[in-house]
Amino acid sequence: MPELAIEQALPPALPSPLRAFWSAFAENRGAVIGLAVVVFIMLLAIFAELVAPHSPVEQFRDAVKAPPVWEAGGSWRFVLGTDSLGRDLLSRLIFGARVSLFIGLSVMVVSFVVGTLLGLACAAFGQLADVAITRVMDLIMAVPSLVLAILVVAILGPSLTNTIVAVTIVYTPRYVRLVRASALGELNKDYVTAARTAGVGTLRLALTTILPNCLAPLIVQAALGVSDAILEAAGLGFLGLGAQPPTPEWGATLADSREFIRSDPWIVTLPGLAILITVVAINLTGDGLRDALDPKMRRS
Amino acid sequence: MLKFLLKRALLTIPTFLALMFVTFVAIRLVPGDPVEVRVGEHGISPERLAQFRHDLGLDQPVWLQFWHYVVQLLHGDLGTSVATSQPVLAEFLTLFPATLELGFFAMLLATLVGLPAGAIAAVKRGTWFDQVLMGLSVTGYSMPIFWWGLLLIMFVGERWGWTPVSGRIDLINHYFEPRTGFMVIDAWLSGQAGAVKDALRHLILPAIVLGTVPLAVIARMTRSAMLEVLGEDYVRTARAKGLPAWRVFGVHAMRNALIPVVTVIGLQVGALLAGAVLTETIFSWPGIGKWLIESINRRDYPALQGGVMLISAMVIVVNLLIDLLYGLVNPRIRHA
Repeated sequence: MPELAIEQALPPALPSPLRAFWSAFAENRGAVIGLAVVVFIMLLAIFAELVAPHSPVEQFRDAVKAPPVWEAGGSWRFVLGTDSLGRDLLSRLIFGARVSLFIGLSVMVVSFVVGTLLGLACAAFGQLADVAITRVMDLIMAVPSLVLAILVVAILGPSLTNTIVAVTIVYTPRYVRLVRASALGELNKDYVTAARTAGVGTLRLALTTILPNCLAPLIVQAALGVSDAILEAAGLGFLGLGAQPPTPEWGATLADSREFIRSDPWIVTLPGLAILITVVAINLTGDGLRDALDPKMRRS
Repeated sequence: MLKFLLKRALLTIPTFLALMFVTFVAIRLVPGDPVEVRVGEHGISPERLAQFRHDLGLDQPVWLQFWHYVVQLLHGDLGTSVATSQPVLAEFLTLFPATLELGFFAMLLATLVGLPAGAIAAVKRGTWFDQVLMGLSVTGYSMPIFWWGLLLIMFVGERWGWTPVSGRIDLINHYFEPRTGFMVIDAWLSGQAGAVKDALRHLILPAIVLGTVPLAVIARMTRSAMLEVLGEDYVRTARAKGLPAWRVFGVHAMRNALIPVVTVIGLQVGALLAGAVLTETIFSWPGIGKWLIESINRRDYPALQGGVMLISAMVIVVNLLIDLLYGLVNPRIRHA
């Protein structure tokens, strides 16, 4: 059997990059659990209409502040109970996942793109651009995140969109710094010089030659950026400066029911638990990504 | 060395100018008539409007207004609060000790628990202690602290009744004139029996809430810094010499692991001030965080403008100091 002989003579195939990544990622048990939870919450958010037992804004006047099913007087009609306006808490939390993930992802995408472009501009377009952009980013970073977000919201007015704008402004500098630092490091390497000698223009040099080599830490930052944005937006919502009623945003839901902390603690407990679980899951996934993508940053 | 100091200090000047510019522009971007925004009156007659416009310098060219604003700031004039008619700087300074006191105890807690916990986790790497601690640490820095605060109020404060849940001291039993603005010190100076204890009891929950995120960050950071140091030759030498474990880990290793950790502690100042906004709101703690939120709700834009200005200036100065200290400790940075 000549074919078999040839097969045996070949060196074992290198695992595909994706498979190599997965096996490194799967080494971290917490990361896999985190990813599973994130996927579950995403599915809930996408199929909220199908999953949620009720509408998130429908008020059941006959069942105001109904307790959850495990408390005395609870029923399967409202599994997690209802809030002070008789809205089904489970449905509000499921639709809230959509709001929070939407905030987190849009903040991440916009700040990732803007931050990356600005960071590359720092490295590629000379000293003046570098100094100007770095100064502005330093300034943004000097203002404590929530304070800056509050200032932006005070100017623009509280709403879901403005929450996203505010939190995006807060998180853009991180990407700029990261890209700038790694791009400056790459700039002096031989392959960049080679590309430049071959006549590659600045723009192409920045986007297709340098950028792919700076991506690993960026992806990690992006994952952690989603969870930070969700927390920040929930904080704004809690202060009444974020999404406005009746949007079922988790922070706002929690703030709505603050006064019932003594009489009906579950209305306060559950939205916070939803935030915590989501953010922990995303952070665990981010840790796993870091371990898999960036061996230098591995936290042994 | 002097050159390094000067260069770093001078580099903050453009940042300060930009900060002034941003706060200057910000208050102009607020929707509504700028006079109404600043004076806080509605439906004023045209004559009064013109008068106010003139008084506030709003009839001058914008660049001149900015110049006046900068000169005012440099003279320590941050405008007047619409709500209280007090100078913004004076209000800020009255409330700031409360925030500082809270922040101090939060950081004290975070450091006293986080440092040893992280170090022990590194030494006992892979054990259940390590795993539990790292799990707690992820939970800690993922914590929505406003919810954490409400939970603590709900259980520790209300249900079990262990601690008070709002304010800085029990005003019915302990009333005295503030002298330093720091309640613990004032209570001590007042000489009233039980006052210090009461002030400290009021600090417990807010300090835990504000300290949670820094605690998680410090524990994690200490663990990884310690792990790095434990592989060094001098640690092996110390062990080979037969030094007791506490000396090897607690002195030889810890001292070197501390450098990055101290930087991280310093860099928490900004995060601490952001956390203070939420913490103070939940616990009715009369500091600048709560004041900032109240200013927004009252549309007190001069207070908001001045408050943001002062808070940011503080963060810039603290970061500069850390930078300088770091340069002092580590010559490699100085010459970079």
